Amino acid sequence: MTTTVIDGRELQPPEPMERTLEALDTLAEGDDVLLLLYCQPHPLFSILKKNGYAWGEEVRADGTREIRIHKLPG
Amino acid sequence: MHASLSFDQAPPISVPYRFFLVAPWFGATAGILLVWAGADALGSRWTPEALALTHLIALGFMLQAMCGALFQFIPVAVGGNVWRPRLVANTVQPLLLLATLLLVAGLLFGRPVLLSAAVPLFLLAIGGFVTVVALALWQTPATGMTLWAMRMAIAGLAITVLLGSLLAEALAHGFAVPIVDLTNVHLGWGLGGWALMLLAGVSYHVVPMFQLTRPYPSWFTRSFGLLLLGFLLAWSSRLLLDDALWSPLIAYPLLLILSAYAGTTLWLQYTRRRKIHDATSLYFRVAMLSMLAFAVSGTVYFLRPELGADPRFVVWLGVLALVGVFVSAITGMMYKIVPFLNWLHLQRLGAPISAVPNMKKMIPADAMTGQLRLHVLAVLMLLTAVWQPGLIRPAGLALAASFAWLGCNLAGAVRRYQGFRDQIRAAA
Repeated sequence: MTTTVIDGRELQPPEPMERTLEALDTLAEGDDVLLLLYCQPHPLFSILKKNGYAWGEEVRADGTREIRIHKLPG
Repeated sequence: MHASLSFDQAPPISVPYRFFLVAPWFGATAGILLVWAGADALGSRWTPEALALTHLIALGFMLQAMCGALFQFIPVAVGGNVWRPRLVANTVQPLLLLATLLLVAGLLFGRPVLLSAAVPLFLLAIGGFVTVVALALWQTPATGMTLWAMRMAIAGLAITVLLGSLLAEALAHGFAVPIVDLTNVHLGWGLGGWALMLLAGVSYHVVPMFQLTRPYPSWFTRSFGLLLLGFLLAWSSRLLLDDALWSPLIAYPLLLILSAYAGTTLWLQYTRRRKIHDATSLYFRVAMLSMLAFAVSGTVYFLRPELGADPRFVVWLGVLALVGVFVSAITGMMYKIVPFLNWLHLQRLGAPISAVPNMKKMIPADAMTGQLRLHVLAVLMLLTAVWQPGLIRPAGLALAASFAWLGCNLAGAVRRYQGFRDQIRAAA
């Protein structure tokens, strides 16, 4: 399993979303994308929901949100 | 995959833009009003010109811009869905526009019939807006302090409009109400409970996102809104209590939490690892420095009653709050929101990412920083003009020119959106 890490904390919108969508383009079955942000990317969540992706979210002590995205089976 | 992506049902781009495109021209009208009125306009907060100017900025610019931003911010930042956004915006925005014009004309020319005519329009427009926004904010599954601040802010807007309607009817019909205390409570809810609460809540989300700072400390976001709400409720008690000692007891901690918000935001900007000095960051810096100046001036107002007795002192506070803090912060926000919305909606057309122009191409950076410089000049001239009335006309001219430039920058962004949209559709 491979994890592609995108650190969006020092990138200005919409660059984190652009990079995430590009990474999802080449995401293999079982791999995931780890996106690091300081905010909740609701527009990205909408796209993921409607296109068969699932994600989990954890918040670190420094306020960083770890958003782990993978493709749903089928 | 991008061509097949389906974006969520965010409101059409015309919904926020119909508010944004109108807002700066109310500000420009405020500047022209100062040019027309001349030296006596800012002699006290109660002159017809000062009352009209206040509402041109607070309702014409701030409320229009903030309502437009909320339509888009709710789905983007807190994942909520506003009911029938196009219908609501198409109804609320013209009602708000007409109501503002009637109120301003009523205050400026002392026409009770115009004040009375404005009231039902405000109640209808803001009543409808508050209802649909509150539903969206309470139905979203999102959590966090941005959401709670927005919920409190929308309640603050409702209270402000109810108090304002009461004041307008009292002025129109000569009702026996404590006008001065009621006005102070009305402006407390308008500037604090609505505008500052919303600005703070939105800041928690957009300052880290667009200005690349660390997040606001969680102890701060958890306490700021509740403290602000608590002090505003206490401030409102002046309607029932003799306020000789009570007002300073409420005002000092209130000014302290304003300073805490401004100081925290400046500290986050100062300590970010990647320094960005774009128009939004600079506008926020101007807004936060103005807020600190407001807090210091407010403290002096209560500590030195002999200075506070000069009616121009409150006008000074009003210029700092309205033009220094809120016009600066809202303009800075619009300079990020509009390019971002352009990008988001072009993306929704289904073109590959490489075909969608960069956000930086939506409004030229030089145009934004040039307009920012003119705005800062206008703020400084207005503050000077409070004490040197001979400067009021040039200050009004600078204010009008700064808002007109903002209006042109936003209109240019919309034209660029239309151009890029047509190119993408043609290529498809």
